[in-house]
Amino acid sequence: MRIRLRSGMPVVAIFTLVLVLLATAGPAAAQGKPIRIGEINSYSGLATVYTFPYREGLLMAAKEINDAGGVMGRPIEFIFRDDKLKPDEAVKAARELVGQEKVDFLAGCISSGVGLAISAYAKEAKTLYFATHCQTSRLTWDDGHKYVAHTTNNVNQYVRALAKKASTLPYKKWAHISPDYEYGHNVWDEFIAYLKLQKPDVQVMQENWPKLGETDHSSYVTALLQSNAEAFISSVWGAQEIAFVKQARPFGLFDKVKFISASVGNPDELDPLGKEAPIGAITPGFAWYDDGMQKRHPKLAEWVKKYQDRTKKEPTLGASWGYASAYIIVEAIKRAKSAETDKVIAALGEGYEMEFPWGKVIMRGCDMQAIPPQWVGTVKMNAQNKPVLGDIEETHGKDVIKSCDEVAKLRAAAAEKKK
Amino acid sequence: MSWITNGPLITVQVMSGLSVGMLLFLVSVGMSLIFGVTRIVNLAHGCFYMVGAYLMVTLVEVLPDRAWTFWLALLLAPIGVALLGGVIEMGLLRLIYHRDPLMQLILTFGLILVIGTLVLLAWGPDNKSVSRPDALAGSVKIFGQPFPSYYVLVLALAPLVAVALWLVFYRTRWGMLVRAATVDREMLGALGVNVAALYTQVFMFGSWLAGFGGALAAPTVAVALGMDGDVLTTAFVVVVIGGLGSFAGSFIGALLVGLLQSFGILVFPAISIVLLFALMAVVLIVRPWGLLGRPEP
Repeated sequence: MRIRLRSGMPVVAIFTLVLVLLATAGPAAAQGKPIRIGEINSYSGLATVYTFPYREGLLMAAKEINDAGGVMGRPIEFIFRDDKLKPDEAVKAARELVGQEKVDFLAGCISSGVGLAISAYAKEAKTLYFATHCQTSRLTWDDGHKYVAHTTNNVNQYVRALAKKASTLPYKKWAHISPDYEYGHNVWDEFIAYLKLQKPDVQVMQENWPKLGETDHSSYVTALLQSNAEAFISSVWGAQEIAFVKQARPFGLFDKVKFISASVGNPDELDPLGKEAPIGAITPGFAWYDDGMQKRHPKLAEWVKKYQDRTKKEPTLGASWGYASAYIIVEAIKRAKSAETDKVIAALGEGYEMEFPWGKVIMRGCDMQAIPPQWVGTVKMNAQNKPVLGDIEETHGKDVIKSCDEVAKLRAAAAEKKK
Repeated sequence: MSWITNGPLITVQVMSGLSVGMLLFLVSVGMSLIFGVTRIVNLAHGCFYMVGAYLMVTLVEVLPDRAWTFWLALLLAPIGVALLGGVIEMGLLRLIYHRDPLMQLILTFGLILVIGTLVLLAWGPDNKSVSRPDALAGSVKIFGQPFPSYYVLVLALAPLVAVALWLVFYRTRWGMLVRAATVDREMLGALGVNVAALYTQVFMFGSWLAGFGGALAAPTVAVALGMDGDVLTTAFVVVVIGGLGSFAGSFIGALLVGLLQSFGILVFPAISIVLLFALMAVVLIVRPWGLLGRPEP
C-alpha cells in the first residue's frame, strides 16, 4: 500500500494526461453545448423488462450520434428519471426536468397512462414531448396536439396488421381475452372493427375481461373452451400472458381454439415460456434472427451484433425503438437546423422518412406519428428447441394506418366531447 | 350460463378454485401466524413469496437436470426464504417490536421496496418461468373434462401442509408456546420462555410458508417483478376474512376467496374484482374480527 501511495503522484499525472488525450481525441466528437433531453420512464419494478433494453438502444444511438459529431456540432444528452409507472410521478419528474434541469425536450413512457399525462403537461408547458415506447393511439390522435410526437408504432397499426392476417384465416367465430383497462379495450376494439371490415360475416362468440395483473386465468380458459369460438385474440401481455399460456396449455385450449396474440411473439414472453410456448400462435414480433428478415434487411445482422457486443444480450423490439427514437429526434433537430421548440415542431410537421436496419420509418407530418414496418409471424420451435417467431410476413404501417383525414375527425370528435 | 347444468365443468371449476385457494392459504397462514405472535402486519410478506419463486427458478437452473431436480428445488427454495426471514427478523424487526404500529408498517413497507430492488439487481428485469416436471405437465380427465395434473399436486400437498401445521401447533410443545404467545406474550416471557428466540423462529416459519407458496406457485405463473404486490393484496383479504391470527380462519378464508374468484368470473364477469372486496366488507360489518378471529379485548 505504502509503495503505491508514494508513487501515487506520477500515476495521477499520467492518468490525467491520458484522460485529457482521450477527451480531445476523435476528430469528429461533438463539442458544443449539449442538447439535453429529459427521459422519463419506468426504471424500477415490473416494466424494467422492457425499459432496460429500450434504454440500451437509446444510449447506443446517442453514442453513435455523438461520436459522429452530434447534431449541428452539439452532442445530445439524455437525463433519465424513473416514473415508477405512475402518471403523477412522471409529471413531477417532467416539471423538475423542464423547471430546474432546463432540458430542451422531453421523451419517454412505457405506460400509456404515463404517456398521456406527460403529453398533457408538455402542452401546458409548451415543451415538445417525444413519446417513445407507449403505444396508445390516443397520444397523437384523440388527445393529440402540437407539442407531442410519437416515435414508435401505435396500437392502431400493429393490431390492424394482425387483423388483416387474421382475416385470411378460415375462422368466423371469434372470442377474446383482454386486460380490462385502456390498452386492452383499445386492442379489442381496433381488432374486431378491422376484422369485420375485411370479413363482414365474423361473429363474436364470447368476451373475457380479466383485470390487469390477474394471476389465475383458469375460469377464463374454461369460458373460452365453452364459447364455441374457432379462434381468439389475446391482448393480455408480459408476465400475465405467460401465466395465461401456462395455465391454458394443460386444458388443451391452443389445440382446440386458434390462438392469436398481440404480444406473445416478443422474447420477454417466448423465452421464459420455453418448451411451454404456444406453438402455432399468430402474433406480431421483431424476429431479427429470422433468415427472411435478414435477407430483406441486409444491415440488420450488423446492428444486432453491435447491440450484442454492447449489452451481451439479444435485442428486443423495445431496443430497436429506443435506437430509432434517438435518431428520429435528432433528425427533427437537424431538419429544423435548431433545437428551438417551434422550429423542431415545424420540421416534424413537414414529415420525413428514415431508413433503419429493419426498414423504413415514416414520421407523418399531420399527426407527428411514426409509421414503421409491421411483422406478423407464427410461433415455432427452432432446431435448438427454443421457441421463435417464423413465417414472418412483412407489411408496412402506411398500408393500414388511419389517414390524416380520419385523424382530424378523431381530434374534432374528442374536442367536441370536452365541451 | 349453460355451464350451470354442466356437472363435470362445475367440478373442474371447483377444483381449480380450491387449488388457487390452497396456494393462497400457504401465504396467508404465514402472514397470520407472524401477526398473531409478533403483532406485526408484515407488508413484506408478499416479497417472501416472490423470493421463493425466484429461488425456485435459480435452483431448477443450476441443479443438474434430473427427474428429482424439481422436487429438490421445491424443498430448498423455501428454506432459503426462511433464512432470509431470519436475517430480517434479527436485524430489523427485533428493534421495533415495542414501537408504534405505524412505525412497524413503515419499516415493512420499506422492505418491499428494498427487496424488490435487490431482486431486480440479482435476477435482472427479464420475466422468468419454471417448467412443470414432465410427469405433471399434462392434464388428467375428471368426468371427461381436462384438469391440469399440476393442480392435482397442489390440491394434494396443501392439505398435507394444513394437517402438519395443525399437528405442530396442537401436538408439540413449540406449538403450544406459539399459541400461548398469541394470547399473552408478556406472561409467556415472565414464565421464563425465551420470547426473542420464539419470535425469530415464528418469523422464519412464516417466511418458509410464503416461500413454499411461491415455489409451488412458480410453475403456474410467470416469475416476475411485481408478483409480490398481487399476492399480498389477496392474502391480506384472506387474513381479514378469516381473522388475523387464526390458522383455521386462514384456511377457510383462502378456500372462500379461491372459489369466489373462480366462480365470480363465470357468474359476474364484469364485477368479479369487486366481489372479493365485497365479501371482505360484509365480513368486516358482521364480524369485524373475521370469521374465526377473536375480538380484541
